[in-house]
Amino acid sequence: MIATLMQLIINGLLLGGIYALISIGLTLIFGVVEIINFAHGEFLMLSMYASFWLFQLYGVDPYLSLFMVIPAFFVIGWATQRIIIQPIIHAPPLNQIFATVGVSLVLQNAALFFWKADYRTVRTVYSTLSLKTGGLMISFPRLVAFVLALGIVAALLIFLKRTYTGKAIRALAQEKRAAMLMGIDIYRIYKVAFGIGIACVGAAGAILIPIYYAFPTVGGLFVLIAFVVVILGGYNSLVGALIGGLIIGVVEAFSGFFLSPHLKEAVYFVIFILILLLRPAGLFGRA
Amino acid sequence: MLATLLVFLLCFSPAVIAAEKVKIGALFPFSGPLALLGQETFNGAVIAADMVNEKGGLWGKKIEWVKGDGVDPKKAMTECERLISVEGMKLIFGTYSSSRSYAASEVTERNKVIYWEEGAIADPITERGFKYLFRTCPRASQFGIMAVDFAKEVVAPKLGIDPKQMKIAIMFEDSLYGTTVGSNAAQHALKQGMKVVVTDSYSHKTVDLSPVVMRFKAQEPDVIIATSYLEDGLLFWRQAKEANLNVKAFIGTGACHGMPDWAKTFAEEADYIFNIDPAIGINPDVLSPKTKAVLKEFQDKFNKKFGHIPATHASLGFVGAQVLFEEVLPKAGKLDPEAIREAALTVDIPKGGTIFGFGVKFAPPVHPAAGQNLLAQPALMQWQKQEMWVVYPAEFGVKKPLIPLPTWEQRAKGETSFIQ
Repeated sequence: MIATLMQLIINGLLLGGIYALISIGLTLIFGVVEIINFAHGEFLMLSMYASFWLFQLYGVDPYLSLFMVIPAFFVIGWATQRIIIQPIIHAPPLNQIFATVGVSLVLQNAALFFWKADYRTVRTVYSTLSLKTGGLMISFPRLVAFVLALGIVAALLIFLKRTYTGKAIRALAQEKRAAMLMGIDIYRIYKVAFGIGIACVGAAGAILIPIYYAFPTVGGLFVLIAFVVVILGGYNSLVGALIGGLIIGVVEAFSGFFLSPHLKEAVYFVIFILILLLRPAGLFGRA
Repeated sequence: MLATLLVFLLCFSPAVIAAEKVKIGALFPFSGPLALLGQETFNGAVIAADMVNEKGGLWGKKIEWVKGDGVDPKKAMTECERLISVEGMKLIFGTYSSSRSYAASEVTERNKVIYWEEGAIADPITERGFKYLFRTCPRASQFGIMAVDFAKEVVAPKLGIDPKQMKIAIMFEDSLYGTTVGSNAAQHALKQGMKVVVTDSYSHKTVDLSPVVMRFKAQEPDVIIATSYLEDGLLFWRQAKEANLNVKAFIGTGACHGMPDWAKTFAEEADYIFNIDPAIGINPDVLSPKTKAVLKEFQDKFNKKFGHIPATHASLGFVGAQVLFEEVLPKAGKLDPEAIREAALTVDIPKGGTIFGFGVKFAPPVHPAAGQNLLAQPALMQWQKQEMWVVYPAEFGVKKPLIPLPTWEQRAKGETSFIQ
C-alpha cells in the first residue's frame, strides 16, 4: 500500500511538472499583458511540431532543440504581441478574446492543412526509459520535464528580481500607469513579456514531444488544464503556476486510482470551481 | 449548376433528371481528431465508386460524392441537414464514428433519406427500428463477445488455466464506441462465469493513463481487453511499459490496435497484441472466386491512387460502397429512398461474398436490429513481426496465435521468438 501511495505521488508530481511547464507562460501573459491567451495551446502544438520536424528531418534531439526553439518562440511571441495583440490592447475584453480564439482556430486548421491529422511522435532511446529505485518506477522523460519546469521557474524568478527588464515587467504588472510615469516603455515590455510567455510554452513543447504526440488539436487538451492551474496558483504568480501544476497532477493521479480514471478530470474541475468561489485570487495571487 | 440543383430538388424520379451524375452524400470526420481515419475510410468508398464509374457508372451516369464534414456529432447533424435540404441528397453514406453516425442518422430518418453506414459499430445505431438506415459492418457487441470467447476458448487452454479462474481486466474509452464494446465484453464474461477483476473507462482525450495502468497492476490480470482510439491506445502501451505492467494476452477491439500506426510507433513492441476487426487477409479459401478478383482490383487501385495498401477502415468504406453501388442501387433503379429500401431488403450475399469473408443480409424492419447486416462478423488477428495475421475463428485463420505475451523484460532482452 505504501509502495502504491509513493508511486502515485511520483506519478502525480511528474504529471504536474508537465502541467506547470505549460502554465508558466500562460500566467505570465495573463498577469502582465492582462490578456487571456486562448491560443496558448496552439503555440504548444506548434513547438511540438517544430521539435518533431527538427528531429525527423535533421536528427536533432528534442532536448537539444530547446536551444533553437526557445529563441525562435520568443520572436514568435514578440511578433504576435506586435501584430495581433497590440492593436487591440485597449479594446473591450470580448474583442481580445475573439482575437486569440481566432488565432487558435487559424493555427489549428493551418496545421491540419499542412501536416494532416496524423499523430507524430519522436522515438528516442529514452522515450520509454524508466528509472527503477526501490520498487518505484520513474519515467525518465517526465522526470526531465519536472526538473526543467523547476529550472525555468527558478531562472525566470531570478530574471524578474535581478534584471532591469524583469523589474520593469513586475512594475507593469503591479500598476500600469505608475510604470508609465516611471518612464517604462510599456509597449516594449508587453512584447518582452509575451515573448517570454511563448518561449516558455515553446520549451514545453520540445520537452513534451518525447512523452506525447503532436497533432493539430493537441493544444486544446493541455490548455484547459493550464487555465485551471493558473487560476489555482493565482495569475501572475510563477511559483503559483508551479505549485498549482503539481497539486493538480497529484490530485489527478490519486483520484484516478482511488475513484475512477473516468472521473479524474472532473475532480480537478470541481477544485477549480471551489477556488473561484472561496479564494478567487488563487493560492499565491494577490487579492 | 443551379438548374441541376433545382431539378434534383423537384424530381423524385432520376429517369427524368437531365443531370449526368448520381450524387451521393458522404458524411465523415474530414477534419478534427478523427480526420485521419475518416478520410481513409472515405478513400475506400471512392475506389468502389471509381470501379463502378469505369464500367459505365450507375444507370449510365457517373457517381459523384457530395461531402459533409462530421467533425463532431453536432456538426455531423448540421452537415447532414445541409446535404439534405440544400444539396438535395437522397442518400447519405458515412460515417466511421459511432457517435456521429447515431446523431446524423436521426436527421436522415426524420427526412426519409437513406443512411448507409459502413463502419461505425455501436449497437444502438441499428436498435431504433429505423426504416431508412442500413449498416454493412459488424456490431460492437460482437467485438466484445469475440474477445471474451477467444480468451475462454484459446488463451485459457494455452496457458493451462481454467477459464473461470482467469482474471480479465477491461478498459475502454468512454464514448459510444468504447462503452458499447467494453460493457458487452464485461457482461458476456460474467455470463460465462469468468472473473472480471477491473473495468475502467476513461476519456480518450486524456494526457495521462497511469491511473488505469496502476489499477490494473494492482489486480494482476491475465488478460486485458481494450477498446481505444489511437492516441489513448498508444499512450497506454507506453505507460504500461514505463510501469512494467505485464499480462499474458492483450486483446484490442478495433481502432488503435488494428492501425498501421500501432506497428509504426512501437516496432517490435507492437507484436503479439491481438486485435478484433473485420479482417482483410482471412483465409482466401473462404472467399468466392469473384470476390478474390474484386479484392485484388481494390488493393491495386487503392495503392495506385493513395500510395499504400488499404487496411481495415478503407476496406470497410469499400465494402459498404460496393454493396450499395453494385447490389442495391442497380436493383432500386433510381435514387429514391423507398426503392432503395426495398432493394436493400432483398440483398442476399452468402458467406465469402465480401472481401471480409462475411455475407450480406439486412434485418427487416420488424427485427430488433432493423437495418443491420446480420451476416457481418469480425475476425481476430495478431501482430506478428509488425504484420497482422488472422488467427481466429479457425476457418478464417491463416496463422496460429502466439500466447503468452512476452514480458517487458523479455522484450528488452530480445527473448521473443516466432515459433510457428
